Amino acid sequence: MTQYRLGIDTGGTFTDATLIDESTGKVSIAKVPSTPADPAIGFLNAIRRITAEQHVDAEAITYVVHGTTVATNAVIEGNVAETGFLTTEGFRDMLEIARQIRPSLYDLRFEKLRPLVPRNRSLGVPERLAADGSVLQALDESALVAAAQRLREEGVESIALCFLHSYGNPVHERRAGAILAEVFPEAMISLSSDVAPEFREYFRASTTVINAAVRPVVARYLGRIEEELRGAGFDAELLVMQSSGGVFTFEAASEKPVFMVESGPAAGVMAATWLGESLGFSNVLSFDMGGTTAKAGLVQNGRPVISRDYEVGAMAQPGGTKARGYPIRTPVIDLVEIGAGGGSIAWVDSGGGLRVGPRSAGADPGPASYGQGGTEPTITDANLVLGRIDPGYFLGGEVPLDLEKAQHAIQTRCAGPLGLDLHVAANGILDIANAAMSHALRLVSVQRGIDPRDFVLVGFGGAGPLHANELARDAGIGTTLIPMSPGTTSALGLLVTDLQHDFPATVGRKTDGVDPAELEQTFQDLAAKGRAALSRDGVANEAARLEQLADMRYAGQSFELPVTVSGGVFNESVLRELVDRFHAAHLQAYGFNAPAEPVEIVNVRVTAIGTIGKPSLARLTTPPASAQPKGERPVWFAQTGGFSPTPIYDRYTIGEGAILTGPAIVEEIDSTTVILPGYAARVDAYGNLMIAQGERQ
Amino acid sequence: MSATGVDPITFEVVRNALTEVTEMMSLALRRSAYSTNIKTRADFSCAVFDEHLNPVAQSFSQANHLGTLVEMVPIMVAEYGEDNLRPGDVLLGNDPYRGGAHLNDILVLSPVFFGEDRIGWVANLAHHVDVGGGAPVSIGAFREVYQEGVVIPPVKLVSAGEIVPDVFSLVLSQVRARRETAGDFRAQLAANITGAQRFQALAERYGVEEIRAYIAELIAYTDRRTTAEIARLPHGVYSAEGLLDTDGFTDDPVTLAATITIDDAGVHFDMAGSDPQRRAPVNSTHSQTFSCCAYVLKCLIDPDIPVNAGFYRHVRMTAPLGTVVNAKHPGPVVGGWETNSRLTDVMLKALAPALPELVPAGTKGMICHAGFGGTDPRSGEFYCFLETLAGGYGGRQGLDGPDAVQAHGQNTENAPVEETELNYPVRILRYELVDDSEGAGQWRGGLGLRRDYHFPDHAASFTVLSDRDKWGPHGLFGGLAGERASYILNPNGEAHRLGSKATVELQSGDVVRYETCGGGGYGPPEERDPGLVLRDVREGKVSKERAEETYRVAINTPDWTIDDAATAALRGERA
Repeated sequence: MTQYRLGIDTGGTFTDATLIDESTGKVSIAKVPSTPADPAIGFLNAIRRITAEQHVDAEAITYVVHGTTVATNAVIEGNVAETGFLTTEGFRDMLEIARQIRPSLYDLRFEKLRPLVPRNRSLGVPERLAADGSVLQALDESALVAAAQRLREEGVESIALCFLHSYGNPVHERRAGAILAEVFPEAMISLSSDVAPEFREYFRASTTVINAAVRPVVARYLGRIEEELRGAGFDAELLVMQSSGGVFTFEAASEKPVFMVESGPAAGVMAATWLGESLGFSNVLSFDMGGTTAKAGLVQNGRPVISRDYEVGAMAQPGGTKARGYPIRTPVIDLVEIGAGGGSIAWVDSGGGLRVGPRSAGADPGPASYGQGGTEPTITDANLVLGRIDPGYFLGGEVPLDLEKAQHAIQTRCAGPLGLDLHVAANGILDIANAAMSHALRLVSVQRGIDPRDFVLVGFGGAGPLHANELARDAGIGTTLIPMSPGTTSALGLLVTDLQHDFPATVGRKTDGVDPAELEQTFQDLAAKGRAALSRDGVANEAARLEQLADMRYAGQSFELPVTVSGGVFNESVLRELVDRFHAAHLQAYGFNAPAEPVEIVNVRVTAIGTIGKPSLARLTTPPASAQPKGERPVWFAQTGGFSPTPIYDRYTIGEGAILTGPAIVEEIDSTTVILPGYAARVDAYGNLMIAQGERQ
Repeated sequence: MSATGVDPITFEVVRNALTEVTEMMSLALRRSAYSTNIKTRADFSCAVFDEHLNPVAQSFSQANHLGTLVEMVPIMVAEYGEDNLRPGDVLLGNDPYRGGAHLNDILVLSPVFFGEDRIGWVANLAHHVDVGGGAPVSIGAFREVYQEGVVIPPVKLVSAGEIVPDVFSLVLSQVRARRETAGDFRAQLAANITGAQRFQALAERYGVEEIRAYIAELIAYTDRRTTAEIARLPHGVYSAEGLLDTDGFTDDPVTLAATITIDDAGVHFDMAGSDPQRRAPVNSTHSQTFSCCAYVLKCLIDPDIPVNAGFYRHVRMTAPLGTVVNAKHPGPVVGGWETNSRLTDVMLKALAPALPELVPAGTKGMICHAGFGGTDPRSGEFYCFLETLAGGYGGRQGLDGPDAVQAHGQNTENAPVEETELNYPVRILRYELVDDSEGAGQWRGGLGLRRDYHFPDHAASFTVLSDRDKWGPHGLFGGLAGERASYILNPNGEAHRLGSKATVELQSGDVVRYETCGGGGYGPPEERDPGLVLRDVREGKVSKERAEETYRVAINTPDWTIDDAATAALRGERA
């Protein structure tokens, strides 16, 4: 029997289902409206739709991978569980005090983020460890029972527990967890030493609180889906995309949902990673632009770059605003998300500056050209006015656009006030949006010391291919890749990832005080945990892989650099080599190193990876080199200083090896690709457009 | 804008790129620094200047520092001679009487060249945890600046890309925590290396002349927007005064006065009426007071306006020489930021009648330094630790003042308890809000916080450099003042109130407790929404008794409801 894998990506507007035939790699897609009030309905509708359309039986599906924003939405919308917080006596206001900073420098009317747990459910329990993990004061068990009773009276259903210095010694947290399980068995318990065993209490506590606050919500949601699927005869492995780009089981996700807060956006970067890998590019910049935001991510040496400094509920802003969201210390794919999408509004500020975003017209009223009452010009309107989008073929003709309304909006709101020509103003809107998006690309590349010129830009999302060529030009990126069906690329990302579990341990010692045998033992213990987790997931031995990392810094610094640890045997020379690698990494990151300074190993981690077979890209079936334009229309380009007759291609008719010389437009149902004058796109065997400078490649 | 010949599109790109330069400097500095004060608490700032030493862009950081840089950088360069600075050179300095602030704030300044063309400067100012002087952490009460630590005139720390070893070792020899300080200096250099590279990349991309033109336009644009915003401010003359507890040597309070005139010429700040300078650590320098005026002016205009020379040129002030707001050499200045934090509150108090919808009631209005040092029994090395504590913010029209938050020109983070205990031989016994410390009001002030420092195994020197021990932050429009702060030695034993400016020699086992002030209230407390009072009582931030006596709201605690009849009676009595 043919077997399939299924990805379900729940977005704000649509829920996408992507089905891959395991033997042929053939991809089919289906879209149904999302159901934000109860996202499980949209999920199940998507599965029903695609299995019906493709005539696939429930039993034929081996894996279902889900990308969801259910956890992050619960936080943003405040629909979290009734949560309690227990900590060391004297520190219950950790969440209230937070980082003691303001999110903006000069705003007298700022507000501080309200803790997810109100103060009446934040309680201290007598107990205390020292920084070295030794017990200064024993856990007061009767006080803990009394605190549990109070939380029960408060109607709490989930508890986050974070004692000081538990990252180094979880003895009190474990004991307290056991007692709570006994005296308050209906509550879900999250221990900080399990969820995020790293020092700096507020960040560990915040991570644990997010976990506790979304856990009942996520557990109910996933539980319901599982029940329905089992009832309908599905016995597939059920997995969720993590923020780090790996996947984990519904069961693991229900225990540590803080690991999946950015499940949705991670899928796009994973898709770009896989595309790069399939085509032989290990360094990729991922650029995903939809209706309201654009997201930039970095894939280096075939792996997405991971951040451990993330705030939930705050859009990652370019530039340094802080404390706008709830910090978490779990791995999150390093994404920069900015408020620039097709619906972003262009406006003129009081100083006569043309600005774009961050306000968005959203889907309602939408861009002026939607004719639904919107009067403010958007990026989509600018693309329309310049001829880049066909008013009769937006979303394959499903949404007819009104060119005159777009022209009027740009004329009255931007061109008129600035004394600019209509088309110059429309082009200016795109340039400014592009500048913001280039900035996002630089934040994930140059800012990390990465030169974007060594990278391939993968442009996707409904609006990404309209802008990708210009971004690549501005950032000096040589090649731009536009995959087939860019509007659903992100959902495809769900099906190209591996099972992943992270196991960190604190070392907290200078390298000259580290016993290699002890370090070896630590890695072995972590590796054993990793292998056990993979075995629980049913991963075969040959598909299991472990990676070892050490987080290192100069003794005295607080920010670590991750250094890869090779091999399983440790001795003095292996340690020295590790130190040398750290010095080199420091020089690359900061422009200097200090080889005479002592170096510390702060944490070590093992990532256990269960490899899942990847689909292969489907080859084109169109005749080779075929590239007949379906028509021609005038399109405005700054390079030519006005409208130029531009060939329009139908993406579904072009064949491998075709060269499309810019200016050119390539249309498909879910997106439109712009090829600039001076650039050309070569079509590869899989239908990808590879855009680069030059008349011919 | 097209009339000026500047392309509005490139303009927007360059403007963002310049800010990005400073943010990348911040990232490099923070990630590679050693002291908790810099790496975790972010007590530093970064800025870009053009070739004429006009400030062009600044990082999201400490507003206090940013204003100081504006005065300090040109003075340092003028004295050293700009032609004496070549590619790869870096200037160091901290002299309060050469444009600086207190000695702890050390400037690292680099010219940025593109080929042979000097296209501008990058600078950062970081608060070093110790710069020598008469007490660990260099924040004690002394009579002259010379007792406060090492005074560094403009000297080259780096010449042609190499650290000048004589200078580096001379400076490091003056300080207590040498290894940490050396690491922090290297981090400051990393920031400038990063900044210069990014600035050069911009020049390469757009061309040197174009960058110059766009920077000039950025300043002009900022000037236009600032001018337009200032024209909307209500004309008038607004005055207020405030008192610091003591000067650290005498018990005489220190008077701070401000008169703000808003008229067709713009906004003018006059500090006449402030006390003559003291031989005590409450004096601030001209650049610190400039910083304070710049902060207040920026708060009055659209927050979206960039901060550069086009804004700073609107900061007009008179700070009489020889007073606590513009000290003469060699007055001690270590507490200058304390003075300026309060001066900010005084200015906002003056403006409250004119801008009641914007201005908060009294805030923390102090820096609230806690510093200590000694010999770490674990390593035998001398250690120094500094942090500054948050307090309550003032209530605003329609908004409560947030609890436990930094105010005004100061936005430094707290030091995590675990990081502090791992790296320094101290134990934090509690870190929590102070219940009932808020200034009551229709919109209440924020709560202050409590932090207990315990020294379990060694003798240490501890310095309190703070304020608000005598008077809490003012209320507005019928709101009450916030509770005052306290600084107590051994609160659970023979408690001794230290006052707000003191250095004490601690014995092994001693505890120092800080309780910072609550913010002032806005509007009469008996007009506060009873539902908000209920929430505060339920969360334990306000006691049931205080709810009844001050807010005139009766609460049934068993079921957490408002006793409407009793509340009406309580509020009726008042009316």
